[in-house]
Amino acid sequence: MAAALGCRAPCRTGWLPTLQIVRHAKSVTRHWKAMHFERQKLMAVTEYIAPKPAVPEKCIAPRIKAVKEENGYAKLLRLQVAETFRDSKMIAVCQHNFTPSEEMLLMKHRLRKHNIHVKFFPNEIVRPYLSVSKYKNLLPLFVGYNLMLVSPEIKVKEMLRILKNMPQINLLGACIDNTILSNQGVINYSKLPTVEITQGQVVGTLSLMASQMCGLLQHSSVHLTALLDQYIKQQSGGAGEADGKAGEGQAELGPAKSSAGL
Amino acid sequence: MWRRLARPFRALPKVPGDPFSARVLNAGLKSYVLPQDYTNISIPDRPKLKFMDKVPSVPKVRREFKNLRDIRGPSTEATEFTQGQYGILALGGGYLHWGHFEMMRLTINRHLDPKIMFAVWRIPAPYKPITRKSLGQRMGGGKGAINHYVTAVKCGRLILEVGGHCEFGEVEHFLTQVAKKLPFPAKAVSCQSLEEMRQAEEERRHKNQNPWTFERIITSNMLGIRKVLSPYDLTQKGRYWGKFFLKDRV
Repeated sequence: MAAALGCRAPCRTGWLPTLQIVRHAKSVTRHWKAMHFERQKLMAVTEYIAPKPAVPEKCIAPRIKAVKEENGYAKLLRLQVAETFRDSKMIAVCQHNFTPSEEMLLMKHRLRKHNIHVKFFPNEIVRPYLSVSKYKNLLPLFVGYNLMLVSPEIKVKEMLRILKNMPQINLLGACIDNTILSNQGVINYSKLPTVEITQGQVVGTLSLMASQMCGLLQHSSVHLTALLDQYIKQQSGGAGEADGKAGEGQAELGPAKSSAGL
Repeated sequence: MWRRLARPFRALPKVPGDPFSARVLNAGLKSYVLPQDYTNISIPDRPKLKFMDKVPSVPKVRREFKNLRDIRGPSTEATEFTQGQYGILALGGGYLHWGHFEMMRLTINRHLDPKIMFAVWRIPAPYKPITRKSLGQRMGGGKGAINHYVTAVKCGRLILEVGGHCEFGEVEHFLTQVAKKLPFPAKAVSCQSLEEMRQAEEERRHKNQNPWTFERIITSNMLGIRKVLSPYDLTQKGRYWGKFFLKDRV
């Protein structure tokens, strides 16, 4: 008992009115109630400490950024662009201004009759494809809104005839049979005759030259034979008159003719 | 002709600020986002918030104690979504009186499109009687008469739910507007953001670098600390203080 009292004595002496424990306080209050000092200390000790990474995050993260997964639609368009350029012989690039949908539909229909298809591709898709393909020189045409008229056959005349009725669609240039043509170039191209006729003309011209050459080369000898023939006729006509004269005349005429021919 | 066409293109990288050229370059692909799936969400017959009675239909005759325990600590009920996808989450305890109910009801019903959205209460109508002594009366003479009724809300409880064929962005502004006016800290949450919030909390608890956690100290009663703590601290682990929620603690 005495020991207990002895133990309590220093506590009593160390008691301060500011440190008194308020008992029977309401547990919940409508306002913020100051915590007990011990509890405040406990709260301060047990605060959250965020983890500090040993290696900075900058060093952990790989420098190569992950390639962003491409949109499925963009992938499809990319494929379609590649396919279009691969399969078509005639690619015409046009500037596309606003066209009422009905007119557009009509134009598409008319072009389709000639197996020409109208394609709309965003520049975002076309430009990267073109810059690595052999159609690199078509790149300057793909600025702003444009559409492509593609066809596996070369049908320039029909295309130009239909485009004439569509003032909203301006032809910028075309790649026909791996040849890049400007607007004027396309028009000139359309005025050319077909391949068969041209080939016939070429063949005609070439054969004319050869025949002319042949004619020129043969001319002298033909002439000579004609003269000789005529001479023989003349001789045979006058054979009854004198054979000896004819022999002399032939001998005389021979060298004289040859010198004249030379 | 080729040179003329090539010129604007060559000039593009040099003047990125030029609005025209920028627009020309940007003319391109639209990325289509799949719309949200609302197939299993049906709009109830009465999509708007119901009127809440100011006084219970059977008024309480007995005057109750203050009983402030009913706003203390975390809520055990209405913490998960039932019908809607979005709601208002209480981040502290408090009492809602009839005025608050009317404010919430009017604001939300005004902004709600009843064809595509609906809202439901997650709290009961005011049920707890609060007594007041009449004005100018001297102190003493016993407890006063019942003045009004309130609803007790604990931290972490959903006040109301909003759902339907809408996205969180569409409802967030008016839910936040309402949440700001409530007598306790509250927040507009969606089903997803609530889940994220809880996950973040859990992650924070796991990543805590402080070896001296509140729980560890008080369970082993270090330095006799339990003397100044309440039994509630064993379950609440120092995350609540009265009706307040200490959101920075783990």
